[in-house]
Amino acid sequence: MGYFAESFTELHNADGWMDMGMYIGAGSSAAGWWTVIATVMLVGVLIKGNSDEQDHYK
Amino acid sequence: MEDQILALTAEVAAIKGAAEVTNRMFAEAYYYITIPLMVLIHAGFLLYEMGATRLQNVLSSGVKNLLAFAFTIAAWYLFGWWFYWALPTWPLDFSAGAGYMEISGLEYANAISWAWGDSAQYMGPNMGDNASGVFWGAFALFAATTASIASGALIERIQTVGFVICAVVLGTAAWGIAAAWGWHADGWLVTKFGYHDFGAAGLVHAVAGFFALGVLINLGPRVGKFNADGSANHLAGHNMPLTVTGLMLIIVGFFGFLMACIILPGEGWSWYGDRATTIYGTPMTLSALAFNVPLAAAGGIIGAWVMTRDPFWMMSGCLAGIISVASGLDVYFGSTVIAVSMLAGIILKPCADWLEGLGIDDAVGCVTVHGTIGLFGLVMLGILGSGLPGLGAFAPEDTVALSLFGQIVGAVVMFLLGFVPGYVVSWLVDKAGMLRIPDEVQIKGLDAVKVPARAYPQGMASPESES
Repeated sequence: MGYFAESFTELHNADGWMDMGMYIGAGSSAAGWWTVIATVMLVGVLIKGNSDEQDHYK
Repeated sequence: MEDQILALTAEVAAIKGAAEVTNRMFAEAYYYITIPLMVLIHAGFLLYEMGATRLQNVLSSGVKNLLAFAFTIAAWYLFGWWFYWALPTWPLDFSAGAGYMEISGLEYANAISWAWGDSAQYMGPNMGDNASGVFWGAFALFAATTASIASGALIERIQTVGFVICAVVLGTAAWGIAAAWGWHADGWLVTKFGYHDFGAAGLVHAVAGFFALGVLINLGPRVGKFNADGSANHLAGHNMPLTVTGLMLIIVGFFGFLMACIILPGEGWSWYGDRATTIYGTPMTLSALAFNVPLAAAGGIIGAWVMTRDPFWMMSGCLAGIISVASGLDVYFGSTVIAVSMLAGIILKPCADWLEGLGIDDAVGCVTVHGTIGLFGLVMLGILGSGLPGLGAFAPEDTVALSLFGQIVGAVVMFLLGFVPGYVVSWLVDKAGMLRIPDEVQIKGLDAVKVPARAYPQGMASPESES
């Protein structure tokens, strides 16, 4: 975890900034895992929401 | 002398660099500003929909509308963006290869639009990419707008989670594929049929309108809408001023929506260095919108006033006026816009009445305003604008020009892209018992049953809720 660069100097050259992600977890599998977590949370909310909704209609 | 030339060269390079930074930052800010403007569309839909709802269901309609916005944006990030980039050439090229412009196809989409692996660098903050985020944001709001359009038609009897599933399918798959085919320089409707739909009359409005129709068939009418003899009752919303103000906010948001349909010049992704274009690379100006959008709004209001004298239908006419000319806002002359949009306002109410006569309970006239008028606009551009080059100056030689035939093909495709997914997904949701709210709950009032708040706790009484 944590930010991927200790210095921005290494990410800047004569052509300007490098074309790369500058988010926490860039260049690692973190983005994919966060995507899995977000997807599971969204689907889980729908399942729970539907369960609660059906209870209201009983 | 040599020193002076070197100094001058360095100065020119510095000026060029500064101009590039200015252009890049302007382009980024331009698209960024379209995003909050499009959020106004949703503020409008929220007011519009709640105002058109009866007192006992107001907050339930609000919850539904907010969730359509939220889930569609999240889903657009997770997989909707991929549809747009992956499928412009599909199914004509069944393997979904890249088109002539080489900014489409499975390989390209996989490289830029998934939120994992190497493509994740373009789905978040990026050191050297000022474009992907603002384009994604604008498209996410297009997607959410498409989903919200259908929302109003379904009020007061659709279940919340069932509706969210329908909205996600509409805002990601149905709209994403429609945009890939008809709103992308490599889209087969564009390259093979000369389809022209600058302001998305077909690929947003018609798709959303006919998706709503597909859902309405499975959903059925609100309790009390139709009598035993088939005649219809008017179920008036609880707050007409809210509805009309909401419609006006939608019009404000349309200016942002239409701004975002323009490709600015001077960037690596631009068509030209000196001229803004449509998404097809055909030249246009913001002035075209400044002339034509207000005129279309005016024409639609006047046309609907002639027929109805009713502020609800006048503001619906305002929307319909803009939708009726949206496909050709970049090329229509102002007086043409007045005539076409007035005609749209005039035919609006009779078309809505005809649909109601078929037993369809469209609570806000969504199918007519967005679906029917969207198709009307596509065909009108085919009649009036035949011969318009389909793509810009760097297009392949065999690019097809705009024609009535091409616009009709596009209209049929947009109808099917809306109606078929709408019918199928709502049928599946219905089979899962997640579509229609039981009649006894509708009679009792949805807010009293499932919303832990009251719309007007110290104000208007709701006899149904109190009971």
